[in-house]
Amino acid sequence: MDATAMQDAETVITKARLGDPVALEALYRAYSGPVYNLARRICRTTEDAEDVLQETFFEVCRSIRNYRGDGSIWGWIRSVASSKALMRLRRNRYRETDELDAEYVPSAKEASPGLRMDLEAAMDRLTVTARAVVWLHDVEGYTHDEIAEQMGRTVSFSKSQLARAHSRLRVWLGDEATV
Amino acid sequence: MTTSHLTMEQLLAVRDGDRSEPAYADAHQHVGECDGCRLELDRLHQRTARLRALPRMTPARNQFPAVRTRVVAERRQRRLRAVGIGGLAIAASLALVVMGRDLVQPNRLDAEQQIATAKSESQQLEQKLHDWDPQSRVLNSRAAVMVMEIEDRIADLDVRLAQTQESDRQLVLWQQRVGLMNTLVEVHLTRASNVGF
Repeated sequence: MDATAMQDAETVITKARLGDPVALEALYRAYSGPVYNLARRICRTTEDAEDVLQETFFEVCRSIRNYRGDGSIWGWIRSVASSKALMRLRRNRYRETDELDAEYVPSAKEASPGLRMDLEAAMDRLTVTARAVVWLHDVEGYTHDEIAEQMGRTVSFSKSQLARAHSRLRVWLGDEATV
Repeated sequence: MTTSHLTMEQLLAVRDGDRSEPAYADAHQHVGECDGCRLELDRLHQRTARLRALPRMTPARNQFPAVRTRVVAERRQRRLRAVGIGGLAIAASLALVVMGRDLVQPNRLDAEQQIATAKSESQQLEQKLHDWDPQSRVLNSRAAVMVMEIEDRIADLDVRLAQTQESDRQLVLWQQRVGLMNTLVEVHLTRASNVGF
């Protein structure tokens, strides 16, 4: 993604794999933005997203020796980031006894066709699981198989979450009135 | 051929070209013939495009110093664990020195004693660093890079020590370790500042 931001990406990656701190920091500078954006879109709070960012790069520093260069470095870092973000959602569920998979029932006002919500607000209204599926699938380009594997759920779970989320977004964004 | 409007699942299958979805072909054909579903599919595409065009969020602060601190702390823990095992080795070496004094050659005994001394010095320096509690202090970027480099070299020495049986070679490596530990302690003691409010 932002590999162009790194001078001589291959050299940086090679040095980072040897534990070179300057190279690791270069990786952070190049990819912290996309990682944070992914984390912030999946997690509820900026604090959680910052924790995910830190966890991700801590894992990158520890495990980059295992990166074999099969795919892009961003693909590898992104898989670490999404895994950490989903782990954070699971941890919050246990901590807050927040049922992530519970249906969100909009109030009568929110469900009103006359109300126009912007996309950011509509995404925030989704359950955290649904929002994560929408972001990972529609924006980051993960397949349902990959999302199911990362979430420890089935492919049909991922598909139904995406469909339900889009149905809600369609209502909240006010598209249904013109159909 | 589907006669009623498509469900969201079917629209998504058409959007994504998901042929594993049952009745994908029918749904695809339906979109070509139904203005309402075609419009709905267009909206789905537009919504996805808008999602992808949402502004990028950026972190408010640089998290790398915190990452670096954790990496350094973890390496330190690993090293302490290694030295803990090394502590047993020290005890074993000293026992060997005492009990086997009459059995070994004088020059070999000398090497064993020197190794035991170097190990003991190394352990004392580790303890000194531990007591200093580096995790409660911050290092500037340059010092942190120095610390990581020294710790890498110590970790490398530890690997080589674990693979070396020859006393003379072990002595050289242990003495190098003491030298690096001294440098590491000095960097921490002279470059760190307290994390406090």
